[in-house]
Amino acid sequence: MKARTEVLLFAGFIAVFAAAPAVAPLVQLDISIVSEVLVTAIAVMSVNLLLGYTGLPAFGNAAYFGLGAYGAALSVKYLGVHFIEAVLIGMVSAFLGGLILAPFLLRRRGIYFGLLSIAFGQVFYFIAYRATDVTGGEDGMNIVRPYLGLPAAHVTLNEQSFYYLALVVFVVALFAFRGVVRSPFGRTLIAIRQNEARVRFLGLNTDRFIFVALLISATMAGVSGALFALLINFAYPLELDWHQSGYFVLSMILGGAGTVWGSLVGAFIYVIGKDIISTITPLWQIFLGALFVACVLGFPRGILGTISLLGRRRGTPSGTDVSAALESQAPTGASRGV
Amino acid sequence: MFEHVAPQLFNGLVLGAFYAIVGIGLSLIMNLTGTINMAHGSFMTLAGYLAFTMVSRGTSFWFALIAAPIIAVIVGIVVERTLVRPLYAREPFYSLLMTFGLSLMAEEIYRLIWGPNGVPFSPPPGLEGAVSLGFMSFPTFRIFIVAVLVVTMAVLALVLTRTRFGLRLRAALQDTEMIAALGTNTQLLYAVNFGLGILLAGIAGVLAAGMLGLAPTSGNALLMPAFVTVIIGGMGSLFGSIAGGLLIGITISMTTLWFPAASEVSMYILMALVLMVRPRGLFGEEGIFG
Repeated sequence: MKARTEVLLFAGFIAVFAAAPAVAPLVQLDISIVSEVLVTAIAVMSVNLLLGYTGLPAFGNAAYFGLGAYGAALSVKYLGVHFIEAVLIGMVSAFLGGLILAPFLLRRRGIYFGLLSIAFGQVFYFIAYRATDVTGGEDGMNIVRPYLGLPAAHVTLNEQSFYYLALVVFVVALFAFRGVVRSPFGRTLIAIRQNEARVRFLGLNTDRFIFVALLISATMAGVSGALFALLINFAYPLELDWHQSGYFVLSMILGGAGTVWGSLVGAFIYVIGKDIISTITPLWQIFLGALFVACVLGFPRGILGTISLLGRRRGTPSGTDVSAALESQAPTGASRGV
Repeated sequence: MFEHVAPQLFNGLVLGAFYAIVGIGLSLIMNLTGTINMAHGSFMTLAGYLAFTMVSRGTSFWFALIAAPIIAVIVGIVVERTLVRPLYAREPFYSLLMTFGLSLMAEEIYRLIWGPNGVPFSPPPGLEGAVSLGFMSFPTFRIFIVAVLVVTMAVLALVLTRTRFGLRLRAALQDTEMIAALGTNTQLLYAVNFGLGILLAGIAGVLAAGMLGLAPTSGNALLMPAFVTVIIGGMGSLFGSIAGGLLIGITISMTTLWFPAASEVSMYILMALVLMVRPRGLFGEEGIFG
């Protein structure tokens, strides 16, 4: 994507989302749903870094998301920390979770990595599910949203101020993500996706790169989870379940794997779609399942990827069909595009 | 002590036999086509519900035990030909995502047809009650389950090693292109192989319904242990799946005895230990599947 297009896109994004609290009620949309879009988008980005860029099927990111959520919720409930501290604690919990799992996950690549991510992620689910005394088990745990903390120690966040906070965190995460994937480090991740053996022949320790990517991804998912718990003032075990990971992966594919903005598009469709359809019909799960099937069979490049493919003459496509990228080893759009 | 341990050990073995047979089905499908079948549990549940409907309409349990898995296989092959087949050329993770979507849909559909709560499905007359083994008594139906599962696995092993189909299947695992060049219809092989995996899931589904109960999510509850079975036993190894399944079954039943809260987590810890020593699983072969 050209620099000017991206600046315009970003300006448009800020304009739309800054005005959202005023616009959303007009279309009967609760502003907390838009907050949920932004928070979810951060988790989708964390999946995108591993799957879209590095080519690792990240089917376990719900574990880090849930660790962030429980880290924040437990510290609010038992330690009485402030909002900002709770988010930081959630972030660190997820980071530590990544640190514990990484040695096991790094042992395998390809779909095996995905299966291991799912399986090890379930450990945290069952811990939250079984430790009823501490976490409330299946029923989850309610928390009261704490004061913001330093530097504004005694400010409670209402839904609108939470939204702006989420917007700020999202923009920071977006720029951090964009910085990472455009850095030499990020280029190396893309190279690993395209041909890991070749990267290793160049003398790079690919395990180390994947290790760092995993930790960045876990930390991002943790921030997202912590914010999510503080948004709904609730933490529940299904946040850690592999189904949740699947929803993140779906959102990523929907938006466009290997694109910076795809995560936001995917999260937007997923969260808003869930909100709208689940209020119309109780059969939300059938639609969601059908969305998975249609997405995989119909448009694997995602929405942004498909759009840029249609406009291919004007530039390089930005979306990545991960399988095509993995199989052909040819440089794809993601290596040059957004 | 012993009078507590022995029944739990037996229960663990029964559970392990389920994990093994579901794991073998997953492994068959995974090895040949690289498809991660997240809907495997849904096919189990389907067979269970079909058997439930048949029995409640008056057919015998024995008929249902054969007919329900066969219907599940037909559904499975239709799904394979229409939805899974287009994904063979692509990364396995797409098939994981697609079948995950299928399982979400299936769960909701079962809920619509058979209701959100579990339905009662009791063992047939003749298999009720318990058998005295001298030092302990054990439910007859569970002994029957073990017998059926063992026979099924033995037949499968014979099919894979003694028939022309089994020969082709094992050859295809090594080199699909070569066996296609030698005149085998690989698409037919894929379909039959998928059906075989679903058949195992279907038989397990009907039996599990009688032992563990029947609810829209009951098959999916067995899916994760089955995946762990395949990972522990090693991809592409029939014997590995059996060993892995039994190992997990015993581990779970023993932790249930002494530390119930950790019963689910124990198998993942076992998996972590196995992977530390043998990254390819206990009996995994070099080269098959990454």
